Parts: sequence; structure tokens; C-alpha cells
Amino acid sequence: MSNEKSGGAGSVVLIVVAFGIALAVFYGLNHFIMNIQGLPLNWDLTPAG
Amino acid sequence: MSFKRVSKLGCIRSFSAFIGAFLLALLIVGVTVPSVSVAAGVSDTLEERISPMGRVHIEGDDSFEPAVKTEASEAEEVVPYQMKKPSRSDYPDIGVSSRAVVWILAQLHLFFGALVLAIPLFVLVIELVGFRTGDERYDSMAHEFMKISLTGFSITAIIGGALAFALFTLYPDLMAYLTHVFGAQMLVYASLFFFESFFLYTYYYGWNAMRYGNLKWLHLTLGLLLNAAGMTIMVMANSWATFMMAPSGVNEVGQVVGNIWEVMKGPLWNPINLHRFIANIAFGGAVVGAYAAFKFLSTRDPEKRAHYDWMGYTSNFIAILSFLPLPFAGYWLMAEIYAYSQQMGITAMGGILAWLFIVQAVLIGTILLAANYYLWAGMSRTEGSERYKPLIKMIAFVLVVCFLIWVTPHTLILSASEIAALGGSHHHLLGPLGIMPAKNIAVNLMLIVTFLSFQLYRRSDKVATVSWAPFGNALMVAIYVVAMVNVIFAGVYYGYFTNTVYKVGSSVMQVSSTLVVIVVGITLDAFLFKGAKTLPSYWGKVPDRAQYALFALPVAFTWLMGLMGYVRSSVKTHWHVYTVMKDNSPDNFIPTIGYAGNMITLVTVLFLILVLFMFWIANLSATKQPKPAVSADGGAA
Amino acid sequence: MNVLSKSLGFSLGMILIFTLVANLLPQVEGEAPVEKKVDLGALTMDSYIALGETLFSGKGTCALCHNALGRAPDLLVMNVAGVSEEHLADERYKGKATSVEEYLHESMVDPGAYVVASFGKKGSNDTESPMPAVNKAPIELTEIEINAIIAFLQAKDGNDVTVELPTEAPPVVAVPAVGSAPASAATAEEALKKYGCQACHSMLGSESSVGPALNGIGSSQSAEQITLSITDPAAAIVEGFSPGVMPADFAEKMTVKELKMIVDLLLEQKE
Repeated sequence: MSNEKSGGAGSVVLIVVAFGIALAVFYGLNHFIMNIQGLPLNWDLTPAG
Repeated sequence: MSFKRVSKLGCIRSFSAFIGAFLLALLIVGVTVPSVSVAAGVSDTLEERISPMGRVHIEGDDSFEPAVKTEASEAEEVVPYQMKKPSRSDYPDIGVSSRAVVWILAQLHLFFGALVLAIPLFVLVIELVGFRTGDERYDSMAHEFMKISLTGFSITAIIGGALAFALFTLYPDLMAYLTHVFGAQMLVYASLFFFESFFLYTYYYGWNAMRYGNLKWLHLTLGLLLNAAGMTIMVMANSWATFMMAPSGVNEVGQVVGNIWEVMKGPLWNPINLHRFIANIAFGGAVVGAYAAFKFLSTRDPEKRAHYDWMGYTSNFIAILSFLPLPFAGYWLMAEIYAYSQQMGITAMGGILAWLFIVQAVLIGTILLAANYYLWAGMSRTEGSERYKPLIKMIAFVLVVCFLIWVTPHTLILSASEIAALGGSHHHLLGPLGIMPAKNIAVNLMLIVTFLSFQLYRRSDKVATVSWAPFGNALMVAIYVVAMVNVIFAGVYYGYFTNTVYKVGSSVMQVSSTLVVIVVGITLDAFLFKGAKTLPSYWGKVPDRAQYALFALPVAFTWLMGLMGYVRSSVKTHWHVYTVMKDNSPDNFIPTIGYAGNMITLVTVLFLILVLFMFWIANLSATKQPKPAVSADGGAA
Repeated sequence: MNVLSKSLGFSLGMILIFTLVANLLPQVEGEAPVEKKVDLGALTMDSYIALGETLFSGKGTCALCHNALGRAPDLLVMNVAGVSEEHLADERYKGKATSVEEYLHESMVDPGAYVVASFGKKGSNDTESPMPAVNKAPIELTEIEINAIIAFLQAKDGNDVTVELPTEAPPVVAVPAVGSAPASAATAEEALKKYGCQACHSMLGSESSVGPALNGIGSSQSAEQITLSITDPAAAIVEGFSPGVMPADFAEKMTVKELKMIVDLLLEQKE
């Protein structure tokens, strides 16, 4: 969605970091949301218990 | 002349300030006094609380003697209220279905009530925006929104009166019971109408008298008080509806055991309050959007077209932004219904009412498609939108595919008789509709891409200038991609490969993913486009056919509200007040979806006619008949 | 005017499409349960079982959850009597039933007595049941109807039906079936809850002004007086209160044990 121009290597780093943050946020969100419902998850997001 | 005007203004200012302060004080007293006295009633000592009721006195060992008379017991003979259990003959027969009469009046009252509560709310916000930015266009538009809805207040009151009359005539025992339970609260409710009208008229007619400087603050305060009165009216009326669905503060036989606060604060009260609050705004935005679209199409004057294009855009903005969180409020309401009574929840989502959610899908799909279409068409207003064109094809594709998944259940092949043969309420294919993972994926993806359309449109006339813009954009892309993957993953994995509990739980996960996208999108853009370079946009440069999307929105919203009214009332099944007062009227069954659809259409058409009347009245005041030309001999030409 | 007719036509067209969709869907009406008068004299065991089956999917609303969707145990596919015996033998069982019939009755009027693993309320670790008591509102099955469902559940798997046909005795009060006398409450507090005493009387921290407050009743009334006031409320009316408000049928409903527990508890309420 962006037409901003950045240096080649720099933009790859940016994208990797951005995706890293997004993945971490949603991974944490999944654990949090299921936990408050009393449905804990394992580290690999499979149901625990 | 100008001196006179100023003094008149000053007079109005001091007078309205005085009246305003006086009424504010009254309002505060009115709201707090009942609650104080209630609190006092609770905190009294046991002694004081019992004494008016009489006392048990034992004199001698084996004989029971009446209690010694106290002055209180003499003064007042307390007869506990006995709820009447109406039998069929207690319901007046007027030849047509009583329920149909009440249905039409209640739904119309709700439509107009929603409209006149929502409009002052965003009018106030627009006015504030205009005041802060110093842009007079906002102020004029806010004033115009008020103008076109002014008749709506009277229409609401007239229909409300008719509804009350119909209810007390057609359902006397139910209303007697509700009057007993809510008692003085109904008087507070009625008195609030007085405040509402007062603030409404001072707010509207004082607009130009209090337009600038400190007077503007006074005017904004009047708007705030108008909204406060309106909001209080709404939550009070909501408590009657939620009391009938999930009664609180009364015992099994309907005797009041709690104070009025406990009666009002049932388990469904706040979910309904939130849901109606948000939905009202979306509904109000959609209706005034149709007004703007109509005015836009009716004129060729470029200046007027630009104005009404902008007005339509703002209305659509309000409608969509408040529509997006609506499913989450609905989710909360549904969860509370399940928590209150699993039976009631299943009646709504998995029982005979489940078919209704197919119609709901059609309506929400219509709303989302229309809103997206309007946003895309509106991109022709700006030059900066060219860069987003390729994404729009992708959004359109996702929308259509998701819509088809959502709206086409494999259960449609069943006929009515087949369902009846299977028992209707416990069908093994019908049931999963409520929690079918594929549908959840589709709905959430539709919401996400609609927000994407929205965000793209907002960005189309801006170029970010902050230094971290590339990272901000990359983060936004990542959030979208990961959120969509997460929604699909949650639906497929927990939906098909784990047990029911996790399946249901994962839908919360999907919903929160969608919410995260919306929240991050709004927050990020607020910072990203701080001091951004603005590209020129050309208001009025929008195709005519885009305006039809603005007609589709209110029509679909109105119908959808009617449909949800049908399900809200139907989950009570054969009860007036669930588990407390049985409905023994001839209409105590849940009507078919077809019958409900016809009723909703009837109410929607009536609403359309009344709204047209409202707009017509608004324009009448701006119309001036030219003075008849006087001929030489004095007669009119 | 052209704009008006075009926009109106467009709007009405859309409304018609929505109406059409609603009318194309299967049309199901949700009927309110009809109070059927069962002719006890003409009742045979077969028709009694058939009544139970009708109640199971109809008035009892059992099939709303007890189906193949996994909300509750799917009673229609399992051998109910066999599973009941397993539950009775389970160490987690904390009810009072000793036979399958008693167990089924208990499951309906006190669903929390035994919660089948993984079917408990979310977060309660299978200690609370999400099922409503079927003899209470909004379902309100009578004893005869509850027994009809037990008969159906026993008969559908070819097991012996131990429920006896209801006789001429008035419904609700009479439980003619052998060994299915109403389960007595375990503690006085439970009994108070069972008969809803605190809905009208202030006591043990509850507050209500419908009936006389019972805090401190132990210091003013004897056991005999309290017993009389429960079994025959009209015998003595406290001034300021009306006769006929308190249910007069506790004498028929309460077990002796429950009555004694309640009276003892009230005697302890000293000022």
C-alpha cells in the first residue's frame, strides 16, 4: 500500500521488523483473549487442557 | 438598528444563561433525589424499616395475640402488590392483531427516536470541530443537520403518545404491572421530555444568536444538555425493554424486591444501551446522508453540489465509522444473553430464529458493499487516489467472495415442511449457522477490508511528511496481513480441529483481531499524517450513481433495525416478562420470518414517507413565495 | 421530480428485495406451549411415553441443547439408563438418587447435582450446570410431565420403564411413582432457598418487605408457633399484612426434615 521509496536493504529490514512486531502483537493477543475466557493455549497455540 | 440587535442579544444571553442554570439545577436535583432517597431507604436501621409494617408480639405462652398497634401501622395498610396473570379473555379484541398495531407504532417510534437522539450527538461534535478549526462550513452544516431533523422530534413524540395509548389499551395487565414496577421512574421519564424540548428549541433557534466567542460556549453547553436529556431518556426506555427480556429486582412471582435501580440494572441493560447508542449514530448518519444525496442530485449548481457532496461524504463517514464496531457490541449483547439464559441464546441463534441471520447477512452485506462503493467512487475527487487503485480491485474481490460465503448456507435446500418434520428447533444443520467458522471468517474479513477502503480514502488526499512514514506504512501493511491470516487461522484451526468450547472462544479472537486493525489504523494515521501535505480535492466531482449508495445505506439500516427488533422481542417466546409474566394473548407465538419481513417492509415504507415529510417541512421554511405582481388598477395579477 | 421518483424507486426496489429474501426462506412459526389437559383415566403407558417424547422436543425444550451439536449430552443417541448408572457410580456424584429414575428426576430439577465432564458452565470446572431446572420458569414442567419424559428416556433404548402411570391424584403435588419422593434439601439454608422464603421475608441478611421480617423471631415465638405459621399461614396474621399472600401449600410440599430444619434455624434467630 505504500509507494514510498527507500533504500533496498533498508526497506527489507523495515518490512521484517514491521512483520515481527505485528506477529508478536497478534500472538500475544491470541493468548490473552483465550486466557481471559478460561481457555488456555500452549506455546504453539494448540489448546492446553 | 445594530445597537438594538446587540442589546437584544445580551438580553437573550442573560435570560438563557439564567434559565439554563436553573434547569440544570432542577435536572441534577431530579436525577439525584430519587437515588438518594432510595439509598436512604436501604441504609435505615432494621428497626425503622420494619416498624411501619407491624411487629410480632407474643404475650403469654400459648396464645397468639395481634401485635400492639403502632401509629404507623394504623396510618397505612400495606397490601402487597399482586401481579395479575392475564388470561386470553383479558386482552381486548379489536379485530386486527394487537401485536401488529403495537409492532408498527413501537418500531416507528424507535426509528424516529434513534434519529433525533443521534443527530444532536454528531451535530454537537461537528459544531465543536467547526469552532476549534474556525471553519464556518462545519458550523453551517451542523445547523443544517439540526434543521432537517427538527420536525422529527414532534413526530417522535406523537408516535410515542400513540404507542403508549395502544399499549395501555391493548395490554392493560402488562402495562399495569410495568407501571407498578417502574412507578415514579415513569414520571421522571415524562419530565425529561420537558427538558429535552427546552434544550432543543434554545439550541436550534439560538444558533445564530450565540454563534461566536463566549456565547458559542453557552451554545455548546445547551447542545450538551440536549444530548444529556436525550441519552437519559434512551437508557430509561431501554430498561423497560431489558426488564421484559431479563427481569431483575423482582422475585419469581413478580413482586418487587429491589429498588428501582436494581430493577433497571438488569443483565442486558448496558449491552443494549451501548448497542443502541452506536447503532443510532450509524442510522442517523445514514439518513442525513440520503438527504444530502437527494439535494446533490436535485441541483446543477456547482457550488451547491460541492456543499452537498461534502455533506453526504461526512454523513457516510459518520455512518460507517460507527457501523464498524457495531458487530462487537452485538457480540457482547449476545454473550450476555447466553450468560443470562442459555435457552434464550439458543432460541435466537440456533433455533427457529436462526434463519433470520441469513436476512441479516444480506442486509449487512448490502451496507458494506454500498459503503465501499461510495468510498471508491469518491476517490475520483482527489488526485492522490491513483496510487491506491490496484488495491480496490483486491478489496472488491475479497468482499464479494466473503459475502457469498456468508449468505449462502448449505441448509437453504431444506423446505419448511422438512424443517417442521425435524422438529424445527433442534435441527442438526440449522444449529451450526450461529457459530459456523466459515461465516465468522467471512464477516471479519469483510469488516477488515471495509476499514481498509475507509483508510485508503482518508489517505487519498494526503502525503505523509513525518520521517518515520516508511516504517509506519510497513507496520500498517503488516498489521493488515497478520490480522487477516490470524482471522483465517483461528476460524479454520479452532473451528474445525478442536472442540466446541475452543471453537466458540476463537470467535472472540477473530473479533479482537479486527478491532486491533481498526484501532491501530486510526491511531497510526493520526500520527502519520500530522502536518501532512494535502493534495487538492474537488468536492462535487463525484459520479451521480455514487449517490445511490447513500440511498441504499439508510434503507438497509432501517430494514435491519426492524429485523433486529423482531428477534429482540421474539426471544422472550411466550412471555411478556420473561419467567415472570406469561403472554396469554392470541399473538403469543413467534411469527414466521416472512410475516415479520412484510411487517418490517410496511414500517420501513411508513418511515420513508414520514422522513420525506420531515425533509419537505425543513425545506419549506427556506422557500419564499414571490410577492404577486401588482397591476396598475391595484388587483393581483 | 425526476430525482424524487428515481431515488424513491431505487429505495422501494431494495425494500422489495429484502422482503422477497425473507419470504423465500423456510417459514417456521414458534408456537407457545399449549396447556394440554391429560386425561389420566385413559392414559396408557404407550401414550404416556409418547407424551414424554413430545415434551422432550416441545414444551420441555430439552432438544434445544440435548442434540448432536455438543452443547449438552446427546440423550437421543446414548443409552440413557446405562449412562445414568455409570454416573451414579462415579465418585464425583454428589446427589441423593439411588436408582436411574431418581437420577433422571434429580438431573431435571437439580441439574447441578452431577455435571457430566466437559459440559459444565465455562470456568466452573464442571461444578456448575448451565441447564435450567425444568420445574421452574420459563419451562415449568409439572411432576406428571417430568415423569413422562423419564418414561420416554427409559423406553427409547428398550429399558424397563420404572415410572408408574399417574393416577387421579391432583398434579404437581402427587408423585405417584415409586421411590421418587421429592428430594429433601440438605441444609436449612438450602430449604429456605428451595421454598423462596427470603423472597418475602427479611432474614439472614436478605431484605424484603412483602412479609414480616423474621430476624429475631426466635426470641418472640416458640417452635410450635413457627411451625403453625408455615403449615397454616392463615392461622395468625401479623398486623399490617394481608392474609392469603403466603402460599398455603407448604404443608403438602415440605418434607418433615425440611420443616424441622427451617424451624430450628428460625429459633436460632434471636434479637
